[in-house]
Amino acid sequence: MRKKTSSIILNVVLLLLGVVTVYPFVWMLSSSFKQNKEIMALEQHLLPQQFITDNYINMNAHFNFLRFFANSLLITVVVTVIVLYTSTICGYVLSKYRFRGRNLLFGFVLSTMMIPWCVTIIPKYSMIQHFGWMDSYKALIIPGMFSGFGIFMMKQHITSLPDEILEAARIDGANEFYIFHRIVFPMSKNGISSIAIFQFLWTWEDFLWPYLVINTQEKQLLAVGLKMFNGQYSTDYGALFAATAISIVPVLLIYLFFQKQFIAGIAASAVKG
Amino acid sequence: MFKKSYPLQSRSEIILRNIVVTAMVIFFSVFLIVPIGIAFAGSFHEWNPLSGTYNFLGLDNYIEVFTSELFWKSMLNTVIFSAVVIVFRVGLGLAIAYAIYSPLVKYKSFFRAVYYMPVVTPMVAVAFVWKFMYNPQIGTINQLFHLDINWLMNPSTALLAVMIMTIWKDFGYAVVMYMAGLYSLPADAMEAAKVDGANAWQTFRYITLPLLKPMTLFVVITSIISYIQAYVQILIMTEGGPGTATYLASYIIYDEAFVKYNFGYASALSFVLFVITAAFTMLSFRVSGTEE
Repeated sequence: MRKKTSSIILNVVLLLLGVVTVYPFVWMLSSSFKQNKEIMALEQHLLPQQFITDNYINMNAHFNFLRFFANSLLITVVVTVIVLYTSTICGYVLSKYRFRGRNLLFGFVLSTMMIPWCVTIIPKYSMIQHFGWMDSYKALIIPGMFSGFGIFMMKQHITSLPDEILEAARIDGANEFYIFHRIVFPMSKNGISSIAIFQFLWTWEDFLWPYLVINTQEKQLLAVGLKMFNGQYSTDYGALFAATAISIVPVLLIYLFFQKQFIAGIAASAVKG
Repeated sequence: MFKKSYPLQSRSEIILRNIVVTAMVIFFSVFLIVPIGIAFAGSFHEWNPLSGTYNFLGLDNYIEVFTSELFWKSMLNTVIFSAVVIVFRVGLGLAIAYAIYSPLVKYKSFFRAVYYMPVVTPMVAVAFVWKFMYNPQIGTINQLFHLDINWLMNPSTALLAVMIMTIWKDFGYAVVMYMAGLYSLPADAMEAAKVDGANAWQTFRYITLPLLKPMTLFVVITSIISYIQAYVQILIMTEGGPGTATYLASYIIYDEAFVKYNFGYASALSFVLFVITAAFTMLSFRVSGTEE
């Protein structure tokens, strides 16, 4: 009996905390389907009394939000795919090959994760100007092609793949390129999917770098667009809620879809590391 | 298991290794080592890209940092912000993870997935949602609790408001980390405690908590590193205001570098933060190392 009561109390407390966690999302999404007069009314209801989709339609009429969305999606997918590839191949070389300076190189990769963004961003900005990459997607993609975090995660992950499989392939005459692309890469699925979600999120939410290097409004990304939009239409609350919802919902969907591998992946890295 | 100390290297292995190592070295040199060098040199100069100035100043930028009232105010804010957020992040994370871990709770992965949601949402967007929630005109927080507070415009509540939002966004990370830690605990330690007749609190206090210490250290260190660098929530929600109430150390760097274009001064500030970050990290490793 006592066990049952404490079980109920525990579950109810966890559920309440879950409601607190989810509430801001629900409030934002529901407000995005409300009229402005309802958003500002004294008497508030969580769900829209009159359900409208005008906010989403109007938002795109006076600000090309879908364009930002498409730009962000393109850049985020390209950067994520490149980082996945470079992280896996660097992780493979650092974990399965023996060569002089390997530990030094890996130690260096680890230390890159400790360097604050503010130390390198000013020189990188000057360098991009110097290279003539301003206002081009080169500036968004090339400086992000390798990730210290990604290499670290994949090294940890690939270390645990059995050497016997690789040896067997080598005896069968497979070369290293074949082994990496056909054996190691497919066997690293869990590690890859957890980096995929992190990298997707980081590129998607990055604000300062695209704000600095992209000047043309049509090329701009969503995070920057959201801030510009807030500056210009700071009283059209319905549209602001709609714009915010659009910049959150895709990432949340990806997370909910992949969350199992994802949580397993990050947790494993911390326990091992 | 037999160990071959140096296996025969095939030609394709040497080629692949050379390509990968060369690419890595070039990339991190160009986008990390060289920039750090440029920033370090720049921190001793008056450096403004708009006017094109680059004049040697010696230590003046650093002297200005340490004599600036705003710098000390922002350091104080950063310490308060980090300390409060980390205490709640670790406390909530551990308590919730332990609750989910308990056999009394059924839907473990459901709860874990829900608490982790804010962690994987873009900060810019989340900061806007909370800015609206704190809005005295349309916000839901005053409505829900029947309050009349202008959260982000009042110097005594603004930092608190940003801290609450940050705790909400980040506690789920600690929950997931502690759950991973709990599930990797050795079962025999728990068994032994039970045999010795320890009650639930004693088991937690004297067995579980000490065994989770490496995880606590990991969460605290990664939190310190990330909160010293936090600026997006400030940029979106308060822009450092009202007055200087919510200036965090990294927000000054953003402000000096990309609003006022004082690249030299901002670089000096960055190096000060860099040294503080490194010192904290080493200190934490030291503390954990000596006790073990």
